[in-house]
Amino acid sequence: MTPAKRQGDTTPPAKPAPSFGDALAQEIFAGRDLSQPDPVDQALLQRPTISFRLRLILAFSLFFLLALGITLWSIRVLGTVQQKILFLEVADDFKLELQQARRFEKNFLLYGSNLEDALEHVQQAHRLARENRQTFLQVMGAEGVITLEEHLQQYAQLLSTLARDRSAREQQQVREHGGALLVAAQGLVEGERRLVHEMLGLARRVPFVFLLVLFVLGVLLVWFLGRQVLATLSRFMGYTERIAVGDFSPITPARKYRDEFSTLALALNRMTRELDRHHRILVESHKLRAMGNLVAGVAHELNNPLNNIMLTASLFKDDFPELDDDEKLDMLADIIGQSERARQIVRNLLDFARESETQLEPLAVKKILEETVQLVGNQLRVKKIKLEMNIPDELPAVHGDRQLLQQVFMNLILNAVDVLPERGRIVISSDTGKREGFLAIDINDNGPGIPEHILGQIFDPFFTTKPKGQGTGLGLSVSRGIVRKLGGYLFVESELGRGATFSVLLPITSVPATVGAGGS
Amino acid sequence: MDARQLEILLIDDEDIVGKRLRPMLEKAGYQVEVFTSGREAIERLARKTFDIVISDVRIDEVDGLEVLAAVQQHSSRTKTIMITGFATLELAREALAKGAFEFIAKPFYPKDLKKVVDKAAAQLRQE
Repeated sequence: MTPAKRQGDTTPPAKPAPSFGDALAQEIFAGRDLSQPDPVDQALLQRPTISFRLRLILAFSLFFLLALGITLWSIRVLGTVQQKILFLEVADDFKLELQQARRFEKNFLLYGSNLEDALEHVQQAHRLARENRQTFLQVMGAEGVITLEEHLQQYAQLLSTLARDRSAREQQQVREHGGALLVAAQGLVEGERRLVHEMLGLARRVPFVFLLVLFVLGVLLVWFLGRQVLATLSRFMGYTERIAVGDFSPITPARKYRDEFSTLALALNRMTRELDRHHRILVESHKLRAMGNLVAGVAHELNNPLNNIMLTASLFKDDFPELDDDEKLDMLADIIGQSERARQIVRNLLDFARESETQLEPLAVKKILEETVQLVGNQLRVKKIKLEMNIPDELPAVHGDRQLLQQVFMNLILNAVDVLPERGRIVISSDTGKREGFLAIDINDNGPGIPEHILGQIFDPFFTTKPKGQGTGLGLSVSRGIVRKLGGYLFVESELGRGATFSVLLPITSVPATVGAGGS
Repeated sequence: MDARQLEILLIDDEDIVGKRLRPMLEKAGYQVEVFTSGREAIERLARKTFDIVISDVRIDEVDGLEVLAAVQQHSSRTKTIMITGFATLELAREALAKGAFEFIAKPFYPKDLKKVVDKAAAQLRQE
C-alpha cells in the first residue's frame, strides 16, 4: 500500500497509471522545466559574441584597408611624380631662358649685338619663377627662392645698365650674377630630377614591402585563427572523451566571448543532459531487475520469520489452556521478535527499491556494505558462499549517494555470486592507500577469473558472459556509470583461474559540514 | 504406538522451529532430537538411526540434500521430510527423486507437519 500511495502522490489521479519509464521521465522533467534554460547554458549564452565569421570579416577588412591604403598612397606618389615631371619641364625652361640670356649677354659683350633679347629672356625666366613660385618654394625653400629672385633682379638691372656702361667692373658683376643664376637653375633641375628618381625608386620598392607585410600578416592570421579553431576542437574532443566515460557534467564557459563553438557547447550540453536522463532511467530499470533477482531471496528470507510466527501463534492457540504464563510470554515475545525481523527485511528491500533523487552526502561505507550484504544474504546462502568483510570500523566518510552505492555493491556482489561455484568465497576489503583522496573498496572472489581478451569489454553496455536471457549486460556498465557520476572509479583486476577483484574508488569527503548541508 | 516410540531428528537453523515443534511432536508421542546445525546433525546420524528425519533444505554450510544423502547412507528405512522456505518446484522434485518422503513449504501450520509425520509413521508401522 505504501509504495502505491507514494506513486499516487506524485502523479495526478485523473491520468491512467503511467509505466515505470514514463513515471520516471515525468519525475525527471518535473524536476527541471525544459523551457527554462540551464544556468550553465545561460552562462555560455551571456558572453559577448565574437563569432568566427566576425573574426574572418575583421581579418578581411584589415587586408582590404591595407590594400586600399597602399593603393591610395601609390596614386598620390604617382600624382606627385607627375607634378614633379611637369615642374621639371618648367625648371628646364627656366634654365634654358637663363642660358639664352647668358648667350645674348656674351654676344653683346663680344660683338655688340642686341641686348634687348637677353633682357627679354631674363624677364621670361623671371615670369616662370613668379608663376611657379609655390613650387619653387617647395623645392628650394624660402631662402633659396629669395636669393634666386634677388639674383634675377640684379642680373636684369645689371643687364640694363650694361647697355650704357660697358666698364670691366660692370661686366664682371653681370658674369657673376649670370653664373650664379645658372648654377641655381642647374641645382634646381638636378635636385628635382633626383627627387623624381627617389620617388620612383620608392614606388618600385613599396609593392614588395607591401607583399611581404601581407604575407606575414596572412601567416599570422592563419596561425592565430587556426590555433583558436584547433585548440577549441581539441577542447571539445576532451569533452567527448569525458562524456564517453560517463562524466555528464555540463560544459562551462572556457573563454570570455561566444562564437560558433558556443552553439556546439550548448548542443553538447543538451546531449549530455539527455544522456544523463537516459542513464538515470537505465540505472533505475537496472535496479528493478536487480530487485527481481532479490525478491526470490527476500521471499525466502521472509518465510522464515513468518513460519516462526505461524508455528508459535498456532500452538499458542491450540495449547492455550495448558500453557503457563511464562510459556505464553515467551511465545508472544517470539512472535513480536519475528514480526520485527520481518519488518526489517521488508524495510531493507523498500529502502533499496525506493526511487529518490540523487543525494550526495558523506557516507559510512561499512554500513552500506552491511545492508547490501544483508539484502543479498539469501543469494549467498543458496550457493553457500562465504562472504568475509574485512573493513575497519573507522573509515573516512566517502562522498556519494547511499542508494546508488548500494546498487553498485549489490551488482558487484551478485556478479561474484553468479560466477562462483558452490562454497565459493567473496572477500570485501578496504584500502585508503590506492589513490590519494580516495577510499577503495575491493570486492574479491575466488571464481574462475575473467579471460584477458574480454577484460577490456566487461564494462561495455550489453556485454555479458551469462547465458541468453539471464543477464542484460548492463550491470557493470551501469555500475561504472554510477561510480563515475559520484566522482569515483571502478576497476577490475583478474587472472584466469585466480578470481577477480573489482575496486570501487570513492572520493573521501574532505569537508563533511559543507557536503552534508544538502542532506535531508 | 504399540511397540516403541518413533524417533525423530529435526534440523532447522531457525531455533524457534525446533523450540515449538518439539513439544508438539512429543505430545503426539514421538521422541524428538533437535539440531540447528546440519553438520552436527549429520554427525549424530552417523551414530544413531532415526525413524524420521525432518530437515530444512537450506541450513548453514550443509544443506538438506546432504542430510538426505547421509540419512540414506545409514538407513534406507528412515523417512526424510524436507522443509523449505525456498519453495521451488525443481528443488522439491530433486528431493523427492532422491528419495525424500515428503516436502513441506514454509510457512506451514504445526498440524500440517504433524499430518505428514503421522503419515510417515503409519507407513513405517506398516512396513
